[in-house]
Amino acid sequence: MLGAIFNGLRTTLGYLFRKPVTVEYPEVKRPVRERFRGRHQLKRFANGMERCIGCSLCAAACPSDAILVVPAANDPAQPNSPGERYAATYEINMLRCIFCGYCEDACPTNAIVLEHQYEISFYDRTSSIFTKELLLVAADRGHGEIPPVLAQLDRRPSPPAQIDL
Amino acid sequence: MPDVTLIIDGRTVTVPAGTNIVDAARTTEVAIPVFCYHPKLKPVGMCRMCLVEVWTPLIDQATRQPVLNPDGTPKLGLMMGKLQPGCVTPVAAGMVVKTVTDKVQFAQRGQLEFLLSSHPLDCPVCDKGGECPLQNLTMQFGPSTSRYDYQDKVHFEKPIPLGDTIYLDRERCILCSRCVRFQDDIAGDPVLGFDSRGRSWEIISKSDPPFDSKFSGNTTDICPVGALTSSDFRFKARVWEVRPVPVVCTHCPVGCNITLDMRHDRLMRVMPRENDFVNEIWNCDKGRFGMRHVDDATRLTTPLVRRGEQLVPASWDEALRVAAQGLMRVRSSAGATALAGMIGADASNEDFALFRHVMHGVLGTPHLDHRPGGPADVALETASARFGVSSGTNLLGLGTGTLVLLVGADPEEEAPLYVLRLRGIVARGGQLVTVNAHPTKLDGSAARVVRVAPGREAALIQAVVCGILDGGAPMSSRARGIDRLRTSLKGASAVQLAAAAGVEFEVVRALTDQLISAPNMIIMIGRTGLAQGSAVSDAVGALAAVTGAFGRPGSGVIALNPGGNARGAQDLGIVPGEGGLAAAQYWDAIARGELKAMLVAGLDPATLGAASASALDALDFLVVQDAFLSDTARRADVVLPCAMLPERDGTFTNAERRVQRSRQARQAPDGQRAHWQILQGIAAALGSDPGYSVSSDVTDAIAAQVPAYAGARYTSLGVTAGDWGRQANESVYYDGTSYTNTEGTGVQLPTGVERDGLPPVAAPLTPLTGGVPTGTLAVLVPRAYDGRDWARGSKLAPRMVPPHVIVGPADAGTLGIGVGEPVTLTSARGSVTLPAQIDRGLAAGTVLIVDVAGFAAADLCGGVITSVDVARGEA
Repeated sequence: MLGAIFNGLRTTLGYLFRKPVTVEYPEVKRPVRERFRGRHQLKRFANGMERCIGCSLCAAACPSDAILVVPAANDPAQPNSPGERYAATYEINMLRCIFCGYCEDACPTNAIVLEHQYEISFYDRTSSIFTKELLLVAADRGHGEIPPVLAQLDRRPSPPAQIDL
Repeated sequence: MPDVTLIIDGRTVTVPAGTNIVDAARTTEVAIPVFCYHPKLKPVGMCRMCLVEVWTPLIDQATRQPVLNPDGTPKLGLMMGKLQPGCVTPVAAGMVVKTVTDKVQFAQRGQLEFLLSSHPLDCPVCDKGGECPLQNLTMQFGPSTSRYDYQDKVHFEKPIPLGDTIYLDRERCILCSRCVRFQDDIAGDPVLGFDSRGRSWEIISKSDPPFDSKFSGNTTDICPVGALTSSDFRFKARVWEVRPVPVVCTHCPVGCNITLDMRHDRLMRVMPRENDFVNEIWNCDKGRFGMRHVDDATRLTTPLVRRGEQLVPASWDEALRVAAQGLMRVRSSAGATALAGMIGADASNEDFALFRHVMHGVLGTPHLDHRPGGPADVALETASARFGVSSGTNLLGLGTGTLVLLVGADPEEEAPLYVLRLRGIVARGGQLVTVNAHPTKLDGSAARVVRVAPGREAALIQAVVCGILDGGAPMSSRARGIDRLRTSLKGASAVQLAAAAGVEFEVVRALTDQLISAPNMIIMIGRTGLAQGSAVSDAVGALAAVTGAFGRPGSGVIALNPGGNARGAQDLGIVPGEGGLAAAQYWDAIARGELKAMLVAGLDPATLGAASASALDALDFLVVQDAFLSDTARRADVVLPCAMLPERDGTFTNAERRVQRSRQARQAPDGQRAHWQILQGIAAALGSDPGYSVSSDVTDAIAAQVPAYAGARYTSLGVTAGDWGRQANESVYYDGTSYTNTEGTGVQLPTGVERDGLPPVAAPLTPLTGGVPTGTLAVLVPRAYDGRDWARGSKLAPRMVPPHVIVGPADAGTLGIGVGEPVTLTSARGSVTLPAQIDRGLAAGTVLIVDVAGFAAADLCGGVITSVDVARGEA
């Protein structure tokens, strides 16, 4: 009888002396895989220009209709992006997003990349809409490396994105 | 023409001789890819995309007999030993065409590789992307990679403005010349051309201002790449994101079928919608680029009610109650005849029905009108309803044997799309005759141009009628009243009338012969003609009667009453009733104290001149329904904001009496209501709510009450009568991006003849045998780009015509006036100084005043023709 109890607890007691597999989130954060698809970032070219040209192909590819792009014409004196067109409005509804990465695949300039940030929570629905200001990386960070997906497949980006390669 | 039978990809096809191979293949659902070929344009064979194998029976040179195979079938040989362009190769009997052989596919791949060798591949930022034939055909027929180096592409400055509305991207252009041919052949504005050679070969505009055409937008539709894009839609949205809503354009009496491409609730662009009976696949720039006023920030958002000097926002309930009480108060104190109403001619039939219900049915006034009450008001005409054009008329089907007579009409300014339609008739072998006091654009396409003295169009037509009646010409007309007509013209002769018209009798005789011999005749009366009382329309009716040009498709009268739905307004009784005044008489009646209250919907009579403005000030009570706070609305006691075209459903009747349905594209942004809903609210406040809930309820009520409209219900309006032969597979892209019509081509109302079976009656005429008027006559001419409300926010704003006077070279010389210098015109009504333009085609003694915003026409003109003194103005 008593033997059976100890027999059952042996497994439990055995784990008392092993290193735990859990981490103390949020103090400790577990690293994610290279191809993890988390919160989106809008990248820039090395010269600081926005990579996004406002073509809306991400919005067209999005299976959950989470992306809104409103394009506008660049001011030739002060262009936001190379070429004639840029995204005046770029919004992703993170409640709708299913993190499939189709937007990344569709992007002709590798502007949108699903990065490793996964802490995306909000207190109300309106703050689930991430605007361009939130998504766009700072002017001095996150320049145009080939997205991991393309790097792994050994695929070159399409011509407009080759500007700084 | 005899039919020819040939075999295309194993299918036997029979088509008329002369058809090209691409069109023949269409009929059997074989799609031959094309770039430069367009079914509405002459083929030129420039792009070489349509190369196919054409096998023809071999002929023995000695015997002239077909060479036969051993099995008895004719032996075939490849035509010229190489591939042939299908668009310029006519079909021949026994031909065998192969469109999917290895050789053909090799040629197609090579051709696309060549076309893409200098194409920038900037599809992601190109407005054509998504509806681009080059994209589609590359996906379907092209190579997946190019052997050319990406760095070797030719580069030009990206986009250069070709005009105010069109951008040209020369990198993307494949030099198919569709735009050049459209402007030359269809629009008749040859303003585009090629420049340079080789890799610098490019499209240029040759006119000043650049791309000076009222049809420039159509070139962006038929451009097979993104070389021509509109500045109006530049980077607004991607084409797959828009929701096309079928509506009917209300800018002019043509009633073009268009779609409003909406993204969410914003208007992104306007595109033509195919309707062979109305606009084919085209629309004019006014319709395409003149819809931005619907999103104008100055639109009225809430009802306004006058409190002292101020118009203050009010609730709909309050505003409707105040409006109803005000009208009722005047009615009980001064009687129903102290009320008057006017509603703009671009409202829908439903609006007219409710307007009549409120003003005539409930309030009982006979003073109703749809005209603005100015000097250019047209007289009510019945010729077009009596004589046709008959139902079944389609200008697209007319050509050889058709004579089009334009009387006092300038379609380019009044109803631009008719320019394309009438030029089409001429191109197909018809004849055009213009009768005007001044040069018009269509003179260039006319077989005969008859220049009459101003206001003497009716005399000329009478001279022709007189000539036909006197000349004993073969007259087989079934019209009634010919004898009375003959009696009424007894005192006059064709010679006298020709002299009165200021036209040589020889010209009249030649014109008479031309009219008699024409199997089909369409007479189009324009605003200048219609505004001269009923003289012109009666004379035209008489001409139709004596030549028998009625009662069959392709003959009759078309009246270009200004406004998108003037025909509907007249049909639905928005005309002065028994003892009623016309709008132009309202202002004097108000000054005399006979009219005390008015309801004005969608019109701005305060801008016509001082008389109407002060009359509106003098009213006891004024209700205005408008989208903007117009000068009239500022004078109102109640202002009710109305919904505009995208925000309302309804039916509209065009100049050819075709009733068409327009759909609602969005909710009104601030709860504005359609005219009929506002009027129903007033009716409800007056205690007589007809209780319609949706627009179609009113349409059904009209169909039940107005005999002519019995067939015009939503169900019948929604029938689509086939399109003109697109290819089977997505081929909308080959013919242009005009939308396929899935929403019905409308219903043409029957003429009086067709309804009761009795031939029409020719009204007796009063011969206009007076001498040619002496002194200078000013003609108030319409302008399409008149700068009124529709121009707000439009890319066409720089093209709006400023107020000016046009004088002939003789008068300019006599008075010493140069271009742009001031001219003072003085009439019995007043005096005005305007800058001058000189038109070399204008005769001495005639000046033209353009009827545009910023010029109070009524302060100078008593009618469309005014006697004036012309003098050099003080700068």
